[in-house]
Amino acid sequence: MTTGLEKILSDRSSVTPAWLLQREVGLCPCGCIGVRSKKNFIDKTIMSASGVIRHALFTDDIAARRGVLQRIDPRAKAVTMFAFVVAVAFLRNIPVLLGACALAVLIAVASQISVRYFIKRVWLFVPVFTGIVVVPATFSFITPGHIVVPMGHWFGHRVGLTSQGLRSAGLVVTRVAASISFVVLLTLTTPWMRLLGALRAMFVPRMFILVLGMAYRYVFHLLGSVTDMYEARKARTANVDRSVTSGRLFVAGTAGALFGKAHALSEEVHQAMVARGYSGQPRTLALRRIKATDVMWMLACAMAIVVLLGVDRAVGR
Amino acid sequence: MLSVAEPVLAIDGVHYAYLDRFAALSDVSLAVHRGERVALLGANGCGKSTLLKVLGGLLFPDVGSFTAFGSVVTELALEDEQFNRGFRSRVGFVFQNSDAQVFSSTVRDELAFGPLNLGLAAAEVEQRVRDTLSMLDIIDLADRAPYQLSGGQKKRVAIASVLVMNPEVLLFDEPTAALDPRTQQWLIELIVELHRAGKTVVMATHDLESIDHLADRCVVFGEDHRFVGAGTPGEILADRELLLAVNLIHERTHLHHPHPQPSLPVGSHSRRTWRDPER
Repeated sequence: MTTGLEKILSDRSSVTPAWLLQREVGLCPCGCIGVRSKKNFIDKTIMSASGVIRHALFTDDIAARRGVLQRIDPRAKAVTMFAFVVAVAFLRNIPVLLGACALAVLIAVASQISVRYFIKRVWLFVPVFTGIVVVPATFSFITPGHIVVPMGHWFGHRVGLTSQGLRSAGLVVTRVAASISFVVLLTLTTPWMRLLGALRAMFVPRMFILVLGMAYRYVFHLLGSVTDMYEARKARTANVDRSVTSGRLFVAGTAGALFGKAHALSEEVHQAMVARGYSGQPRTLALRRIKATDVMWMLACAMAIVVLLGVDRAVGR
Repeated sequence: MLSVAEPVLAIDGVHYAYLDRFAALSDVSLAVHRGERVALLGANGCGKSTLLKVLGGLLFPDVGSFTAFGSVVTELALEDEQFNRGFRSRVGFVFQNSDAQVFSSTVRDELAFGPLNLGLAAAEVEQRVRDTLSMLDIIDLADRAPYQLSGGQKKRVAIASVLVMNPEVLLFDEPTAALDPRTQQWLIELIVELHRAGKTVVMATHDLESIDHLADRCVVFGEDHRFVGAGTPGEILADRELLLAVNLIHERTHLHHPHPQPSLPVGSHSRRTWRDPER
């Protein structure tokens, strides 16, 4: 019994090459086991791109939970978190800064964010951005002072880590950690699009917010296109391709194709805007009213900031 | 003032070419009357979408004229703010690619975009957005971002973003393309409902399966970008030679009911079906 496809192919045998009617040998006929291939730079880049999508969707999931911060208006949240960051910049004592970090962890718990995930998000960045930078400052030849960790002699001078250097480094690291904690709290508990909307409360121009919002929206769309193109290539790659040149060619080709797609899409988006009356002036819905809970939240944050600054001043240097 | 007999949209002797080289419309004339449902049928690349964009005031003919509601529509005329607002509020365009149409950061903002640009008061815009969201049963999507929506949901949002402006004429570009059967059926029922509410509907499609539910009149495009036939869905579907000539069916394709028949009620399961000749 012949299937529809075979009949169509047999009817058109004059144009169908013989090899198309035969089976391909899938595996090596000798039955040997192949060599495992490692991921190349394209694999890694594309995987990172899909990671961006996954990450955004995951953080939107956190933002949808019914925790304390999720109930607060994004504008109130943005203003208070910004105030915390400014206040942290004025703190001069490591224990008080650690207290600010602990406060951020408490807010995270109240906002149904896993402590482990939160600490990982904050403390992964701190060593990378500040730890490496401040390490030299702990040595006696950069910050002279009382050596607490001796490391030998150099040209007749004692070398080691000084208490003054360690304190300065600790101050910078805890300050950065506390600042990042409050920023992470804001970004984790607010959908990105609502965060952009909140920027209006901070007098950012509407056109800027509109363009930023559309750029964010279409980044996801184009990331999907990149993944599709890569998967289409991968689906047709039988041999392990270790050639860097072919990888570069693929990346260049993808970039070109993506540019073309983005251009065509931008034209169509503009037409869709014009069809609904857009004439160059961005108009948006009025911002929602600030509720009593938002005012209470702002007052509570103001009190916390006053307490932090007061304790810092009381403790002194 | 538009008389009853006068068409709401009319094009006469229109030619259009992309980059002045690639012809998309050749000597096309069409009149669409109030309350009509017109389907533009044709194979891929025959010029259906281009014609819809001309009717939507998004492209302007190289030769020929376009009249809407008794006024000539040109690029210059649409630069007049009042005329532009009047035209845009009366003609709604649902794009084939919902990703191009759903460009705002949230579904709520998407629906508000059109009415706000037409200068409606904020309170009315919010009311209309709420009503449209609940009418299309997408109220739970209101605060979602477009990248969190499925293809069917995006299509609903795209249609909602046009309906919220309450246009008299709705232009649909390939409305049923790439939709799952349930969403397709939902869309067909919606178009029937809109027609009952007095809306004029013009759609570009090559989905012959749904055409007898969606249109009162069909206009067929040839692959040479000209109109080659017109008639009721029953008449067009019965004209096998015409459908073959314009590449809407293949010679192996068999219509289950190739003869003219009255439109079936929406939701009926005994719809026209396409059969594989080998089965």
